[in-house]
This record gives sequence, C-alpha cells and structure tokens, in this order.
Amino acid sequence: MELTIDDRTIEANRGESVLQAALRHGIEIPHFCYHPGLSIAGSCRICLVKVEGVSKLMPACNLSVVPNMKVSTVVPEVGRAREQVMQFLMLNHPVDCGICDKAGECRLQDYEFAYGPPRSRSIDAKHHKRKLHDLSPRIQLDNERCILCSRCVRFTREVSKTNMLGIVERGAHAFVERVDPESDDDPYSDNVIGLCPTGALLSRDFLYQSRVWFLEPVRSVCTGCSRGCSIDLWRRKKEWRMRALGEERNSMLYRVTAHENPEINGPWLCNKGFDQHKLMSRERMLTPMLGDAPASVEQALARARDLIAQARSPAALVSALASNEELDVFKATLGARFRVYAREDAVAEPGEVVEDEFLIKADKNPNSHGVRERFGWRTLTAADAQGHDLFLVWGDWGDYAGFGRAPVIHLESFARQRDRHADVHIPLSTTFERSGTFSNFEGKRNRFDRVLDKPPLVQHAADVFAQLDAELAAPQELREAS
Amino acid sequence: MSGQRGQDVHADNVFMSFAVTSDSHTLDAYRARGGYEALGKALRTLRPEDVEAEVTASGLRGRGGANFPVGSKWSFVNKQSPVVYLCCNADEGEPGTFKDRWILEHIPHQLVEGILLAAFALNVRHAFVYIRGEFDLPLRRLRAALEEARAAGLVGDGILGSGFACDIVVHRGGGAYVCGEESSLINSLEGKKGYPRNKPPFPAVKGFYGAPTVVNNVETLANVPWIVARGGAAYAALGNKANPGHRLFGISGHVNRPGLYELPTGYPMKKLIFEDAGGILGGKPLKAVIPGGSSTPVLTAGEIETLTLDAPSLQQAGSMLGSGGLIVIAEGTCMVRLLQVLTRFYRHESCGQCTPCREGTAWMDDILARVVDGRGEAADVASLRAIPEGILGNTLCALGDAAAMPVLSFVKKFGNEFEYFAANRRSLNGDRLEA
Repeated sequence: MELTIDDRTIEANRGESVLQAALRHGIEIPHFCYHPGLSIAGSCRICLVKVEGVSKLMPACNLSVVPNMKVSTVVPEVGRAREQVMQFLMLNHPVDCGICDKAGECRLQDYEFAYGPPRSRSIDAKHHKRKLHDLSPRIQLDNERCILCSRCVRFTREVSKTNMLGIVERGAHAFVERVDPESDDDPYSDNVIGLCPTGALLSRDFLYQSRVWFLEPVRSVCTGCSRGCSIDLWRRKKEWRMRALGEERNSMLYRVTAHENPEINGPWLCNKGFDQHKLMSRERMLTPMLGDAPASVEQALARARDLIAQARSPAALVSALASNEELDVFKATLGARFRVYAREDAVAEPGEVVEDEFLIKADKNPNSHGVRERFGWRTLTAADAQGHDLFLVWGDWGDYAGFGRAPVIHLESFARQRDRHADVHIPLSTTFERSGTFSNFEGKRNRFDRVLDKPPLVQHAADVFAQLDAELAAPQELREAS
Repeated sequence: MSGQRGQDVHADNVFMSFAVTSDSHTLDAYRARGGYEALGKALRTLRPEDVEAEVTASGLRGRGGANFPVGSKWSFVNKQSPVVYLCCNADEGEPGTFKDRWILEHIPHQLVEGILLAAFALNVRHAFVYIRGEFDLPLRRLRAALEEARAAGLVGDGILGSGFACDIVVHRGGGAYVCGEESSLINSLEGKKGYPRNKPPFPAVKGFYGAPTVVNNVETLANVPWIVARGGAAYAALGNKANPGHRLFGISGHVNRPGLYELPTGYPMKKLIFEDAGGILGGKPLKAVIPGGSSTPVLTAGEIETLTLDAPSLQQAGSMLGSGGLIVIAEGTCMVRLLQVLTRFYRHESCGQCTPCREGTAWMDDILARVVDGRGEAADVASLRAIPEGILGNTLCALGDAAAMPVLSFVKKFGNEFEYFAANRRSLNGDRLEA
C-alpha cells in the first residue's frame, strides 16, 4: 500500500508502523524508545507526527499504516512538539557530556541539537538522582542521564528474559534499577549499553578509555562460539593516531559492539562477544622458535620444510579458528601430504554459559563447520597417533602428550605453558590481524576484516603453507643450495 | 453516614429513589424497592442483544468522565469471542468526585444488578470490580452485597434459575489515581504495574489478558437496571436530549450545602449552586467553578451564568462535564495556591511512563510551589502557559491532559493573580483557600 510522508509517496507493508515505513525509506523520524528488536513502548513521545484528518499528534511508532494516509513531520506543530519533548527530557538531565562516554554517539545529544528548543525555559535547579553507580560488574548506571525510555528494561524482559532491570517508583521519581541485586548477571547484559539512547548505561570496561570520535568500527566476527555473530571492533582512527606519548593506543582494540546482522545475530551479542577485545591481552607468541631457541622466520620455515620432507606419515591437526580461505590454502598446498585431523581449539571455560536457546552455542570455535566441510571431522585417537612420525599442529593447543617422540611443528597465535616445546614454532596472526570468512554452525559465511597490523615476525598461516609448499615442490638440489 | 443532603427523594429517580436508613443498602431492602426485577425480566424475556439495544436506545454515556456512548463501547466487543471480560471501574480518584462511593455504600445491589445485566448483554462469565484502595466502607458494603447476592442465587451459576452464569470478583487497587484509566486498570488487575497501555489496540479488542474487555464506570453500570426495567426510550427522555439521563452531581467547595445531588442533565448550574446547594458560604460572591472533577477547565462566575449541566453546554463553554464533581470557589480565594493543590496531586499521580506528563507535572508543580513560597520570578507565568501546552494532547493517556487543563485554564482566566504573585511574591488574595 502507499502512504504519503511529507509529500513523498512511499510503499509500505501491511501491519507496519508509520515509523518503520519511514525509516525503511530513509525518512528521519526521531525516536528514543522505539527499537526494532523490542516491543512498542510509545512512551518517549518524540516521534509524534501529524496525520491528515486527526486532530491530535500521533506517535509514529504505534501508528499502523493505512492506505493513502497522509503524514507530515514538517508542520509547525510537530516541530513544536519535538521541542517540547526535548525540553522535558533535558529538564533534569545533567548535560555532563564533557565527562560522559556517550558523547558523540548519543541520541539525546544529537536530537537536542536537531530538535531541541534554542534555550531551556527552566530557571530552577536540576533534580538529582543517583549518579554513576555499578549496576553490575560490567555496567555503570547514571540515573540522572536516564530518560526512562525503558529500552533496557524491555531488553531484559523480552530478549534476554532475565528480568534483570525494572523501573521502580512512579512519576518523576521513577528510576531504572536492578530488580533483584542477588540474581545472576545477565549473560547478554552488555546489549543495554548500546541500546541506551543516552549515557545512562555505560560499559565499565570502556569507561573513560577514549572519546568515541577518535575511534572507528571495523566489521568482524566473534570467535567466541560457532554462532559467529557480527561485531564491530573499535580502533583509533588514522587521523587521530598518537604520535608521541601513548603510542600503544594506536594498536589497541577499545571495545566491541554488536553489528546488526539479521541472518545471524540480529542486533544482539552475548557478553563473551563484548569481551572479544580482551583476547588482545592474552600473551602472544611473537618469535619463531626452534625448540627453546628463538629463530628467524627463515630458519623456522627451513626446519619445518625439512621435517615435512623427511616424514613418511605426517599428520596435521587443523584449526577450527582458521578462516575458510586459510583452510582452502592448506588443502590446496600441504593438504595432500598430510593425514588431516580436526579438533576443537576452544572448549567452554568453567562458569561460562555452555549453550542457550538464544545465541550461545556449545561449540566454542568459530569455524568448525568450515573444517568439517573440507576435511570431515576425524579426531586424533591414541592409536592414530602411534602411526605418525610428524605432527603439524595448527591452532590454539599445547598438549603433545600423545605424540610420542615424533617431532612437532606448531603454528599458533598465543604463548602458553607447556611441558615440552615443539621442534618448530611459528607465530600466527590473530583474527584481528587478517581478513577472511568463517562458516557458522548453520554454514552461513560471515566476513571479518583486518583491524590491526600484525607484529613483524608473526606470520599469516596461508603464507606459511604457500611458502612451505613452494619450497617442497622445488628440486632437492635447489633446496640444498639455498 | 452522609445521606442525600438537601436532596429530594423521588421514586422515579435512578439512584436516590428511597430514604437512606441503616439497612437500606441490604438485599432485602433493595428487593423491596423492586431490585433485581430488571435482571429477572432480562433473563426470562430478553436476549442479550435486546439488553444492548435498550442501553443504546437510552443514549447513556460513560459517567467516568469521558462521556463516551455506552452502546457504542459495547458494540465494539466481539461477543462471539471465547472470553469477554467486564471490569467495573470503581477506582474513583478524581478530586471533587464522590458519586461512585455513594453508590457502593448505599446501592451496592443496584451496581451488582447493573454488572449482571451488562455481563448478560456482553456474554461475560467473569466480571471484576476494581475498587479504589482507599475505600473502606464502600468495599465492605460491596463485599457484603456480593455475599448476599451469591447466597440468593443472584451471582454465580444458574442465576435466578436461568442458564446464565456470572461471577463477580472484587479487586482492591493499590491507591494509584492512574489506575482509574481503563488500560492501566487492566494492567493493574493483571498484577502488573499500573502503566496505561498504548492505544490502539483498545480494551474492547484486546484488554484483560488479551481478551475483549469492557471497562465501565460504577455510575454507568448502576444506570442499567433502570434502563432495562423502564426501557431505553424512557431514559432517553430524561434531561437533556443530546446527553440524556440522570447524574449524580457532587458539589463541594465554598457552598452551604455540599453533597451529592441526583439531577437530570440539562439542569441549570446556577440553580444547583445557589438553590440546591444553598449558595456560597458567608454569602460571598461566586468566583469560579471547576465543573466536572479537578481536571476539567475552570469556569469563571461570568461564564456559568447560563450554563446547564450537560456535556454540550459545558463543551461550548470550553470545559467538560467530566465526572460531575463541581468544586465551587468563592470570591477572595487565592487561585495560585488552589492550583498548586491540584498540580501537587497530578505530580504525585503521574505514572512516569511518558515524557511530557512525567516531567511536565513535576515541573509545573515545582514552579507553583516556588511562587506560592514567595520565590516567584517574572518568567514563571509564561512557563506556566507553555508547559501545559507541551503536555496537552502529547501524552500516552489522558492523565497528561487532566494535569494540563487546570493549569492552562487557571492561568488563562486568572492570569493577573499569577502575575501579581510572581512579581510581588505575595498573594493577591492573602493566601486564602477557605472562604
């Protein structure tokens, strides 16, 4: 059906609201409490529009489209209503944007500039509420900044279903509160930080780490489980790079936010996903090693090449953290020389939610599906291990106990405690340092982009395989000459 | 026990048709006056649609304040729905209004009969009475009446030997004014916070637990037995043609005989104030009247000269008949202080769900509290004009309008008193609220 918004005729679907139809066609109608993933609250009143033939202004979020409806967002009364609503919302808002992490990506701030009155009418002191207190170990709440849009409350009721948050008291005394302070933390609680249209709910992890306008998002995929949710990883913008003090901030991941992906995760993400950037603080493997001795990349590759060339029955344990592209390169290069086994790089940590009915999957690896597609899923048994005289271990694993005396070539990103060093150790790039795709548990491919540069001696797995393959294919004399 | 002070008892009255005695509220007394005969007649001789037709023909309009035609409200309900609910709204909280209380105290059986007739018409098996939490005697009288009725086979299964069954459940509110709004009443009845719901969907389509639900005021339902007994046409002939019937007008404030008066609509307002209610206290001149509960726009003495007590007349004067609770204000009263009494109430009762009402009611009261405290500023009067404009029509439910209309009308009609108070930091009328 068709309807007209401000002299623009647009196509709308039955059952849609005027706000949804407008947003779909790029027509801006301001909204605080409306969110596509939540029920309609109709409470912020900033989306009031004029409908021809209706005397009162109507909230666009709860206004079903009717054929040939004529809606205006530009008549003076709509502008006046927006000014009035902004005046009400800002009445007791502290306007402490200078010390608020939300500044720069704050809906309240944006709308105040766009739709607010030229100056406040209030001459009274602002009413105070509870400021900057910990709602949970992860989230800080500032009730003064809250506009009571109830997005966070509806999220914990309707989406995560923990009922963690509620609005208590009534009238101007109303405030958001953790309803049962004794309850377990909501494993999806961090979504409310992004949902909050003001700086009322802030991440304690990101608190005062950076102004958001210094940062830019890079699209990535969460490696926390086989759901493979789309995420944004936030790094410092090029034009804001530190040139002197604090250069480490140029190669830092500041925070993770959910990247809307209707195919996989909708607009949501679990707290493990919000913690993806903390992988950065895990100790890295940064130098190639031969046994206990640091080596050059060339030395390590040469040793690996020799071990592979000498082996009669080599086995490869491929990584479920590897991208589809890397798995393809491995298959096309070294694949034929090795007996390939699959294994899980990661398993659920103690205390972690293993699986639920929402996003979290029990398989804690991002690309088990990609491995299975290419190599099947055969795991290495003790009996299998007996039959091999070389192990190429690719990925996050350090238990060589079953390998006997056979040499080990290990390609991995992180340093770890182990009882015995591998014969050859080649440090690998992390997901943050390369681009690629993962196939999630349903086989849906999801792309991640390079966010940071890799450290100098760290290698991309695909390059390592390609180089080893090229050298192994070269005649024996050439190799010995080199 | 306050009876019908100053009220003549007429047998033809809808409510005050008998002399109040210590047992006039009982089942026996009600039956002796012909009570439950309308129900018996309906169950024996009428079909549900006939009852609805009589109510539609009567021209009865909602007595809770919105004045919505009852027949229309009932017609919106799909009676074929597996479940239809009826809620009697007894959460009478509008300042200046005390009519439902009288009905619950003195003619609870008439209400029960009205509920049963409405339930019969609407195919309702379970009806609810949501009663104001502060009501004590009304609650006890209602519960006693229901017990009597149940024992007499008037409530429950097989009412009066017919196949019609209806249970009536009394639910006591927690003391929130906003729960008198029908959708928050339903939320509260469901055990949720008393937040009004977005409309649409309206309760007639999706109400209590998602089922079609009719919410009617106590006085509205208490009219139904009379209508069924004597016919819709007879009711339509009472009072004003466009807005027929009898209403219980509660008159309070600076009058000599405050109380409740049953009058036909179209009755002259001046006659009620100066004759029935005995005129203004101390013989003072009339200053203003709040005509239909505290949220209706105030009228000056000049404006009420020719007014009659019916919806069209008051609408023409720029106000509303509302719940029929008149608050009479004598000359010499400080309108600024009086308005702050009202803004304090609405600030306290705003549910806080939607922005304009939550922030606006508190802000208006802050300003008025400061003015009354002698700390007014010149800009305050302009703010008191602008703030209610930002609330009016922009809120999720009618509470915002209810809070905005008094402020708008007081400042419009008595602007000089507000300007004087703000500029001189003292009342033009010596802070008086008493006559």
